[in-house]
Amino acid sequence: MRPMLKLLTVAALGAAPAVLAADGTITGKVDVTPGKYLEETVVYLKGVKAPSGKGPESKSMDQKAMTFIPHVLVVSQGDTVKFLNHDNVVHNVYSPDNEGYNLGSFKQDEERSHKFQQEGAYTQLCSLHPEMLAYVFVAPGPYAAAVDKKGNFTIAHIPPGTYQLAVWNSHLKTPDKPVTVGSGETVTQNLALKR
Amino acid sequence: MCSQRVGGVLVVLAVTVAGPARAIPAFARKYQTSCLTCHTVYPKLNPFGEAFRRNGYRFPGVDSDYIKTEQVALGQEANKKTFPKTVWPDWIPSSIPLSVGANGQAMVIPSKSSSAGEAGKSAEGSATHVTVQDLSAEAHLWAGAAFDDTITAWFELTFGGGGVDIEHAQLLFNDIVGPKHVFNIIVGHGFPNVTQYGPHSSYLADQMVTTVPVTAIYWGDSDPWTLVDNYTGAELNGVIAGRIDYAVGLNAGKIAHGLAPTDNFYGRVGFKIGGMRLDGEDSSGAPDPERPWAETALGIYGFAYQATSRFDTTAGAPVPSDTANTYGIGARGQLGSAELNVGWYTESHGHGTDTGGPVNSKVLFGELSYVIFPWMVPALRVETVWLTPQGASTVHDLHIQPGIAFLIRPNIKLVAVFDYESARGFPLTTAGPLTPGPQAYQGGASSWGPLQIAPLASGEPNRSEFESIGLYLAWAM
Repeated sequence: MRPMLKLLTVAALGAAPAVLAADGTITGKVDVTPGKYLEETVVYLKGVKAPSGKGPESKSMDQKAMTFIPHVLVVSQGDTVKFLNHDNVVHNVYSPDNEGYNLGSFKQDEERSHKFQQEGAYTQLCSLHPEMLAYVFVAPGPYAAAVDKKGNFTIAHIPPGTYQLAVWNSHLKTPDKPVTVGSGETVTQNLALKR
Repeated sequence: MCSQRVGGVLVVLAVTVAGPARAIPAFARKYQTSCLTCHTVYPKLNPFGEAFRRNGYRFPGVDSDYIKTEQVALGQEANKKTFPKTVWPDWIPSSIPLSVGANGQAMVIPSKSSSAGEAGKSAEGSATHVTVQDLSAEAHLWAGAAFDDTITAWFELTFGGGGVDIEHAQLLFNDIVGPKHVFNIIVGHGFPNVTQYGPHSSYLADQMVTTVPVTAIYWGDSDPWTLVDNYTGAELNGVIAGRIDYAVGLNAGKIAHGLAPTDNFYGRVGFKIGGMRLDGEDSSGAPDPERPWAETALGIYGFAYQATSRFDTTAGAPVPSDTANTYGIGARGQLGSAELNVGWYTESHGHGTDTGGPVNSKVLFGELSYVIFPWMVPALRVETVWLTPQGASTVHDLHIQPGIAFLIRPNIKLVAVFDYESARGFPLTTAGPLTPGPQAYQGGASSWGPLQIAPLASGEPNRSEFESIGLYLAWAM
């Protein structure tokens, strides 16, 4: 038993640093003036890339009842977005932002995809239905979240450290805020946006 | 007094009864805000409301930030990046931005000493004491909306007097180039901006500026040109650095027949010191939050106007055209809740009389008001007009009108006005469709109802009288 106990002790000690470096969370609420632009808000860590070993992901944005769903989709740089069409009318997806793209027209149950290489917001438009609008926000890494209908946000799995907390909004702005996240800590940071 | 005289009076009155008070509850819906954001006793505008009107019916800052009703996008902001491959975007309200309203008046007319009472006695066989027949004289349909943050629209249809009149149908292109508020263009049918403030800036009358329907007075023109009226044309206006404002425009004026050159021109320039900027930008709010209408400020403006009216000589007009040259100045001073508006102008007609002769009119008007409560505003209004036909003596008409305006609700108002009038002489006519002899004269802005006329007693050139008490009721929703 003694060798086994020793082994367990060593293993426990070895695991201790990992416990100390547990990921943290930033949560908070965004106050927006005027409030009608609230849902077009993304909070993210500026310049923080994905940890090594985390590959690009694929996410999707649907078109239903002539509406992009979700209205704001948050992805990481290098991710791919599949654009679906579940309407029985033809849709188109294009964006004039950054490198710009036009995925052509596609019928019901067809899909198109685009790989987002540049950080920032891409307006999603449909040339056939000019009233349709959505945003794909490309964050530098996975540390980004769109706010909910009440303005709440949560960015999880953040390695301990000090960061610049930034906000994108379609019409409004606020200065970046420094924030320090300790191991396993949940930091609350509220933000206010205006013209 | 003879019945022919009364007929002449009615001709003049029929063409000079001014439009009603105006308010646009469509804006209250659009911004989900009270009428009191922009008005005291509507349609009188407070400083913020004046800025809103001057900005082309837009809030300071970014107008769409304040729009709370749902809008249907006819394109997206990002489409501007893809123009000209795509149409420049805008939006429309999800519900039609309409408002309705009505207004009218009851008149109390003394049986003695009032020429109006005597006119009634002559026409009806007994003196008129109270008349309520015009309590619902007019109904209105208004629309006001934005196409985007720069283009807005204003529309007004008035039903009354057995007809329908498009009073406003304007597109306003704001901030067309350069700094914000400096260059704006209005096209369509509406009021030329010859004053620094909205035309309906009076608590007691329909319009702040007293107007004189010269050709109607002298020969019965059924559609006379007056300084403040609705015309079809275009205007360039703007506010510079928040304190200087200007307007220049051209319009079709009054044309009785066919197509004619558009040669009615006007220009105005003014400034404001103190109080809220003319464009409402960078406002820190009213000094007293309990009195949002109050400020200490002075605004001064001057204007010039050349208007050529064209008549139908086959219908009795004595001349084919008349050109009026008008020059004037005005000022508004505000000290807290007290406000004084004054204005003066001279209007010279080349062929204004029944014989085609020149006539000059001079007009002085003023209104002093004090907002005791946001729902109760006493005021004193004075209007005086001099008319001088070439080769004839000057006639003079004076109205002194104390009154009080009440807001029964933010969108229901009652105004009581006592009218004292003193006239010296009458305009004379010897030709034209009117009965030869002295003509009735109706003061301009005091023309809420059809009973404010100069004394008519024959052979009595000078007369002063307590003419009437008017009770005006208006609502809008």
